[in-house]
Amino acid sequence: MECVVQGIIETQYVEALEVLLQGLSGVPKERVRVHELCLKSGPNLGVVPSEVRLLCDLAQPTPSWSIRHVGGAMRGAGAEQISVLVRTIVESKASKNVLYYFYTLGYKLDHELLKIGFAFRFHRGAQITVTVTSANKMPRLYATDEATPVTPGIQLVEITAPAAADNYNDVVSAVTAFCEYLAP
Amino acid sequence: LMNWHPSPGATLNSQILAEACGCAESLGGAKDGRWKTSIYFYRSMAREAAAGQQGQQGRELLGVALHERPGLYFSIIRNNRLVLQADAAFPQVMEKLQSYKARVALNFEGFQYQLGDFCLRIGKCVPNNSETLRGIMMEVEYYPLSSIEKSRAIMEDFFDIWQETVAKKSLPGHFIHVDSNFSEYGLSDQYSFQHTAVQYATCLQQLLTVARVQS
Repeated sequence: MECVVQGIIETQYVEALEVLLQGLSGVPKERVRVHELCLKSGPNLGVVPSEVRLLCDLAQPTPSWSIRHVGGAMRGAGAEQISVLVRTIVESKASKNVLYYFYTLGYKLDHELLKIGFAFRFHRGAQITVTVTSANKMPRLYATDEATPVTPGIQLVEITAPAAADNYNDVVSAVTAFCEYLAP
Repeated sequence: LMNWHPSPGATLNSQILAEACGCAESLGGAKDGRWKTSIYFYRSMAREAAAGQQGQQGRELLGVALHERPGLYFSIIRNNRLVLQADAAFPQVMEKLQSYKARVALNFEGFQYQLGDFCLRIGKCVPNNSETLRGIMMEVEYYPLSSIEKSRAIMEDFFDIWQETVAKKSLPGHFIHVDSNFSEYGLSDQYSFQHTAVQYATCLQQLLTVARVQS
């Protein structure tokens, strides 16, 4: 499971945000360059349609791949009272043939994005990651070198923290408390 | 990997397994605990409307959880000679997607023996939650080398000694090794866990062929 808060920020304020995050976290900034491929099941495959994301981390000297399945948000009386989105998430590392593997299983590429930006990972009541990225589209399939921003003036801010069924309330509180610093 | 090939008309039984373990000990092997590798058969799930076409679209995946690497998981699409290496969370991804479901699980399990620079894992193949013997097989691991070509001669020498030792027991069958075509899977000469996963898929194919012939 993970707790997520998402927001947007105008590109002109990203530098100031970076300074603020540096001060709050006390950890070095990490570069983010992730090629995200969103795959959907082909017609007739699976009891229900399914979606899976493949992420290729291009910030490392050797690109590394991972598989990510994002589940639905929590429902029920408890969920209405929570301000932070809580959803199930399953992630696995994978070898570099993972894209070909899912194509062979019958999945098709729905869309791809290149996310470029930075992240801070630190502990403040929970293991929190704040990521600030611009979403970029590719003019041709897989052409990450030719990516251009989808929304040039706007970037996405995501605050995430892993959670489990027995501690998500504490994680939600920690994330909510941290978000207060970013509210303006 | 080698699997037990019964003589025509002979059946599998646990006595063969015990005798094979006895051979390892007679060669000076020191028993060193148990091991278990699990294989899962996945089948593709079709939507209701296309259920009639499932035979054409049905694709088979194998999931392999190796004894020596509990943090890793391998998924093999044999028809396409594809082996994916993932981590232990991968089965949960497949469970969430519901496009392929694990139908049958088989366990390869037994004792392992240290024999100089070799490690022998001799085991039985049984369905999960059952004791029905589906096969007998063994792994031979040679520690000093990881190049398949360079270790070929020494592995062949070991197999010759092993076959001679087992032959003395006059058992109804013998061990065979079937080559997995690693290059078809895109694997190099440098041995890896992916190679082992592919060998299990080949070994399983052999065991099932033998079972079909017998029945």
